[in-house]
Amino acid sequence: MSVSEATPALARGTSPGQRTRPRRSRLARRRRRAGILLSLPAVIVVVALLGIPIGQAVYYSMTNWNGLTAQWIGPSTYSTALSDPIFWRVLENNGLLLLSIPFAIGIPLAIAALLNEHVRGWRFFRSVYFLPTAVSWVVIGMVAVQFFALNGLMNKFLGAVGLGSFQTDMLAGQRSALIALAITFIWSMLGTNTIIFLTGMATLDPTLLEAARVDGLHRRQIFFRVTLPLLKRFVQFSFVITVISAFSALFSLIFVMTNGGPGFGTTTLEFFVYQSAFSLGQFGTGALYGIILFVIMIVVGLVQLRLIRSEDGEGW
Amino acid sequence: MAAADSLPAPGRAPDAPASGRAPASGHPPAKRALRARRRSRIGMIFLIMTAIAVVMLYPFWYILNNAFRTQTQFEQQHGHSALSWSQLFSELPVGRELLNSTLICLASILLILAVSTTAGFAFAKLRYRGSGIVFLAVVAALMVPLQSIIIPEYVNLGKLGLINTYLGAILVYVALGTPFATFLMATYYRGISDDLIEAAVMDGLGYERTFLRIALPLSWPAIATVTVLQFIQIWDDLLVGLLFLQNPQQRTITVGLAALSAGRTSSIPVLMAGSFISAVPAIVVYLIFQRYLVRGLTLGMGK
Repeated sequence: MSVSEATPALARGTSPGQRTRPRRSRLARRRRRAGILLSLPAVIVVVALLGIPIGQAVYYSMTNWNGLTAQWIGPSTYSTALSDPIFWRVLENNGLLLLSIPFAIGIPLAIAALLNEHVRGWRFFRSVYFLPTAVSWVVIGMVAVQFFALNGLMNKFLGAVGLGSFQTDMLAGQRSALIALAITFIWSMLGTNTIIFLTGMATLDPTLLEAARVDGLHRRQIFFRVTLPLLKRFVQFSFVITVISAFSALFSLIFVMTNGGPGFGTTTLEFFVYQSAFSLGQFGTGALYGIILFVIMIVVGLVQLRLIRSEDGEGW
Repeated sequence: MAAADSLPAPGRAPDAPASGRAPASGHPPAKRALRARRRSRIGMIFLIMTAIAVVMLYPFWYILNNAFRTQTQFEQQHGHSALSWSQLFSELPVGRELLNSTLICLASILLILAVSTTAGFAFAKLRYRGSGIVFLAVVAALMVPLQSIIIPEYVNLGKLGLINTYLGAILVYVALGTPFATFLMATYYRGISDDLIEAAVMDGLGYERTFLRIALPLSWPAIATVTVLQFIQIWDDLLVGLLFLQNPQQRTITVGLAALSAGRTSSIPVLMAGSFISAVPAIVVYLIFQRYLVRGLTLGMGK
């Protein structure tokens, strides 16, 4: 539809201004049409499969919908849900899981610093550390269950180093199961975050580090005073990825490791959405929790945007 | 990662003069002590890295070691056998589920590529009034967690009769993959010079053909990145498959495995054998296309 009408002579550049103007505007019109046409499929996908469902979820969240019949209740569903102690128990789990984030970022920072020394074989180690990123958290969760089991490696290890009194079935207790989940989560994030930091370290100007060394800073001082501040953007990025994962990517791990239990010990908000809707048949309540989760994600996104802005203000 | 490879390694540079502990000009004994220190430091680093590697590889070893046992052998942690494998194949339609995973991955990725390359090109090179805001809206959809839309999605696709069909799951995967893929493609196309595009258009190719013949072939690294990223995400996914493919006939291998672990099988070796089979394709893809996966992860920084 486009070629036959095109004007091949245009590029030869001999035509005077009078002649190019209508042509250019015709081209501009064609350009505009092509732009709209080519971006349309993606827009349709996003609107139909993400945008409209979010709107529906807001609507459903204010009904007592059970999958078959929906009755409009109104915004009061939110105050009802917010006064449910189980909801706060679930949110508490989410909050406690956030405590794992310093580890999920700090450990990879240290690993990246080690890799960045470029000791012989570092490329091999880099591949090995990143390998778990390819594996489903379903599989990782399955191994984790065995690792934390009463006769699993962790308890064997505790026994071997003389800490036999600490041996427990971690997945059987509410708090200990959450800790086991957090440890598995940290392990699963190591590869991704290490790669992000390693990429960041590769962008650093080596002369800067050299200057710091000449100035007499120790290795540790260089890391904390020079490297780390320069990696700020990368740390922020991995922070956001880790927070988003902690809120919305743990489903597979929880499903395989604990199924949310014992009790509500490891039920996070995202898992609660699934449980409410697909185990208890409370679709309206499930949709409501989904909306709360969405709001939390938006807040995280806005904070991130704010951080980047303020950074720009400082002239980074 | 080429940049990382070519960088000089700061750790290798002599460090003692800076810390001021060594005499100014190299007395042989001091030099030797220095070299020894450096060597022991490198040795330490190597040791720590090996220890971390053991921690990271442990699950893989565990899976392999225990997939080849019977349940009794597993409990005693002694002896090996291939019995769990025949049990796995009788309890889980492995071949069928691997095929399902492959088909769903391929179809989803093709659709994601189709909409994200075109839209990415349009947003980068064919700006129209309002295209900036449309682009922002598409990318902002990244913030929508799957759990927030999954209930309406389930109902909508149910009304269309798409639950327990490939198409239903594929549509959800496409929706989830499109925002980031579009962002990535737009970022890539911005790097292609406007003159090249204009020249092609002036030569009479038209915008659509310029995209197909010039821009698309140029963008294959970004296409590879999207492909690998999406392959691993879709292959490893549980939730979408769990809800939209409840029928064992359409299930992906990851969902089948999770269902097996939640359901009847109490045999750990069978689960480990299943884990092995489900993990291998993703690991192979990772090993071949590692570079693109890494780039995809860090491109999210908008650099």
